[in-house]
Amino acid sequence: MSLRWDRAAASHLARRAGFGGTPAEIDALLAMGLDGAVSSFVGYEAIDTSALEADLARLTAPVPPATTPTYDLNTTVGIQKWFLHRMVFSRRPLEEKMTLLWNGHFTSGIAKVNDATLILKQNKTERSLALGRFDDLVLAMTKDPAMIIWLDNRTNVKGRPNENYARELMELFTLGVDRYTQKDVSELARALTGWTIAKPEGTAVSEYAFSFNAAAHDAGAKTILGQTGNWNADDAIGILLNATDGNGSVSGRFLAGKLWTWFVYHDPPDWAVADLASVYVSSNHSIRAMVDHLFHMPEFYEPHTRQALVRSPVEYIVAPLRQLEAKTDLSTPAASLNPMGQALFNPLDAKGWEGDLDWMNTGTVFARAAFTNSLVTNRGATGTRIDVPALVSQKSLATPRDVVTALADRLGLSDALPASQAVWEKYVDSKSDGSRGYWTNTPAAVDQKVRGLLHLMLTSADYHLS
Amino acid sequence: MPLNRREFLFRGVGVATVSAMIPRFAIAGARHFEEFVSSAASGRVLVVVELSGGNDGLNTVIPYTDALYSGTYRKTIGVPVSDVLDLDGTLGLNPSMSGMKALWDAGRVAVIEGVAYPSPNLSHFTSRDIWHTADPKLLQRRGWLGRYADKALAGTANPLSGCAISSSLPRTLLADNVVFPAFSNPGSYSYTTDGANPGDGANQVAAFVAQNSMEHEIANRNETIERVARDAASSSATLKQVANGYTAKATYPANSLGQALKLCAEIIVGDFGTSILYVTYGGFDNHSAQKTTHDALLRGVSDAIKSFFDDLDGQGKASHALLMTWSEFGRRVQENGSLGTDHGTAGVHFVVGPSAVKGIYGPPPQLAKLDGNGNLPWQTDFRSYYGTILTDWLAVPDAASVLGTGYPNLGCVART
Repeated sequence: MSLRWDRAAASHLARRAGFGGTPAEIDALLAMGLDGAVSSFVGYEAIDTSALEADLARLTAPVPPATTPTYDLNTTVGIQKWFLHRMVFSRRPLEEKMTLLWNGHFTSGIAKVNDATLILKQNKTERSLALGRFDDLVLAMTKDPAMIIWLDNRTNVKGRPNENYARELMELFTLGVDRYTQKDVSELARALTGWTIAKPEGTAVSEYAFSFNAAAHDAGAKTILGQTGNWNADDAIGILLNATDGNGSVSGRFLAGKLWTWFVYHDPPDWAVADLASVYVSSNHSIRAMVDHLFHMPEFYEPHTRQALVRSPVEYIVAPLRQLEAKTDLSTPAASLNPMGQALFNPLDAKGWEGDLDWMNTGTVFARAAFTNSLVTNRGATGTRIDVPALVSQKSLATPRDVVTALADRLGLSDALPASQAVWEKYVDSKSDGSRGYWTNTPAAVDQKVRGLLHLMLTSADYHLS
Repeated sequence: MPLNRREFLFRGVGVATVSAMIPRFAIAGARHFEEFVSSAASGRVLVVVELSGGNDGLNTVIPYTDALYSGTYRKTIGVPVSDVLDLDGTLGLNPSMSGMKALWDAGRVAVIEGVAYPSPNLSHFTSRDIWHTADPKLLQRRGWLGRYADKALAGTANPLSGCAISSSLPRTLLADNVVFPAFSNPGSYSYTTDGANPGDGANQVAAFVAQNSMEHEIANRNETIERVARDAASSSATLKQVANGYTAKATYPANSLGQALKLCAEIIVGDFGTSILYVTYGGFDNHSAQKTTHDALLRGVSDAIKSFFDDLDGQGKASHALLMTWSEFGRRVQENGSLGTDHGTAGVHFVVGPSAVKGIYGPPPQLAKLDGNGNLPWQTDFRSYYGTILTDWLAVPDAASVLGTGYPNLGCVART
């Protein structure tokens, strides 16, 4: 299989490795060639983000006389806006896309953790290790205060083990269900005893940090996945991540499946899982090596891979903000998360979100439409809004087809079915009584129909997919 | 006599707009429905309440006469024996469940004990999928009520034949040929358009339906999403009727279950021909500091269900409703060191309504006889539970056509 690097492929890479690109960004990726384009995503540390950090510093500090900042990091909505801001404005889209993956994988909910600072700390840890060694990420999450609260390891003590974290560490985080026995769960829980949190007397919950309580640790022998010893959590994570079966590395295949499902399509084929798992083993568990390999695989660019993933609510919010170069204070976007079914930082349970077609039901279809309608029809000077004249030049819009072509290119929908394009052309040319012949290329017509058509395109099945 | 709302929708506005928007449902399928389900089921509504997270059955219906309960297994988080609300001299309700006790005293509650499936899986997610699909092997994609709906409800042209009061569609309701709406607020359940150009609104809605009615040569994700969008458009027309002024005849608790059950009552009283309603109430995964949280949750469940039937009684509709609860598993018999409980196996569930046959079904928990992991042994197959509901409430002539095999009927639902 050879790989055809064209504008559609560049657009596909921008959607999957990031949140979609503007026409200018797609052109730039195309000019870089495949290797250059992949490197521009995967080698993101080379990209300067000091402007983003300066913006966030300003937005998270109160401006007198106000006493609360624009993004109040002590609140759920404040950290939601902070994370959304990064996804919308960062010049390192893959860094945020990977952080979003880990946010749903090593997830913790504020409903139980009850402290936005600790949740934000977890998000920052996930970002800092997003493409690192998987072992480092798993260990950091095992010592993460929010995770220790969320999955009860702070009450996991010698003689009275609490199995919650032990089970999810194997089932959800590293191996997958049924790769272990109930006996392994209780033995792993013993190895994790005493891995807790502590804070100075009298300080706030946000001061909690990892702490090893030797008195609460069970120092007896444990047998985990067939290996017996006086294991602590470090040892146990090593045992989990180095475990093999007849098909090779168990955690390598688990992580390969996870990455494939996140970036390519659901139900990964065995050969692809084996291929990525071999990179996991040969690279000493490097997530970066796996992701880099994945973006070079011809299968990633095959036609059946295009539009095979359902955009999550977060992606569905972030993508048009980027592609339409919207101005936003992130208020409406943050408020739109819950109705779409993705209460960022507050998942219902330890599994995070199911994703894929589970995102799409009749209620969330309307919640998505409510967001895009608000985005494209806000004609005010504040809030989340687009600048129609800046997006399209009026003189290029002689016919309804011109309008459809320009906006489809803007949203990466140039490959939409001809029948969809016909529906859109008909809409642009429809008078209020439904009869044809409306389009006249006046500023008023552009304002009405460009906004209306963007709303339709953003609520099409083509755009719900990525 | 004026047409009731259901007839109005189907004969009047419904035919003109709803079916025009969604030709797939406009096919005359009523005969199919009548063939599959006897007429006894018409007007009956099944309300499914999922208690998500794994409800602790032993602190819900308490085996308070078993000395091992307070003496060994639940020394700190157990309900004091003197506080339980006695049911039959052996088992008693958690004292926060006074509403459920009143319903029991009124003869409207069946308690199903020891419910699980063979070789219980202690994962929330696997166990939940097993309950949703009624298939311990997880070979079924569709939910058990989804399979029922494909047989009984597909082609009835009713966009509100069932729905979930939820922001996501539970897998129980996943079907091939019926898309159940999911919503939490009917007031905002519509396709919003440009408020500054109201004259263009009809064009936008028409184009939205048209762009979601594409022909696809092969089944793909676009087609699936388009179908959801079309069904959203058609059900929103129906739900506009629900959103119009409802006066409850009872005061519901402010918790999300209370509000969801109030919406269920609205839909039942509105007579939209709905037969399945689904609500979820979460927070039952109490690994630590369980007692206060769990008692409050049980109070929420009990008060909400009591209000629901009080409301329906006031509306003269209680006989139309049967409510059933489920949860993915019960919890470990021995409390853990965190004043909580870890994942367990068999659980206890409730069937509530005038058609429930008061009683306790299935053997009560025997704390002296636990499995090797300290869990309650499985006693009542959850498919017996489902099968009884299908047969005796939804009037499915052969529950095996949904569940794959026949299972013993529990007798907890009155036969008519």
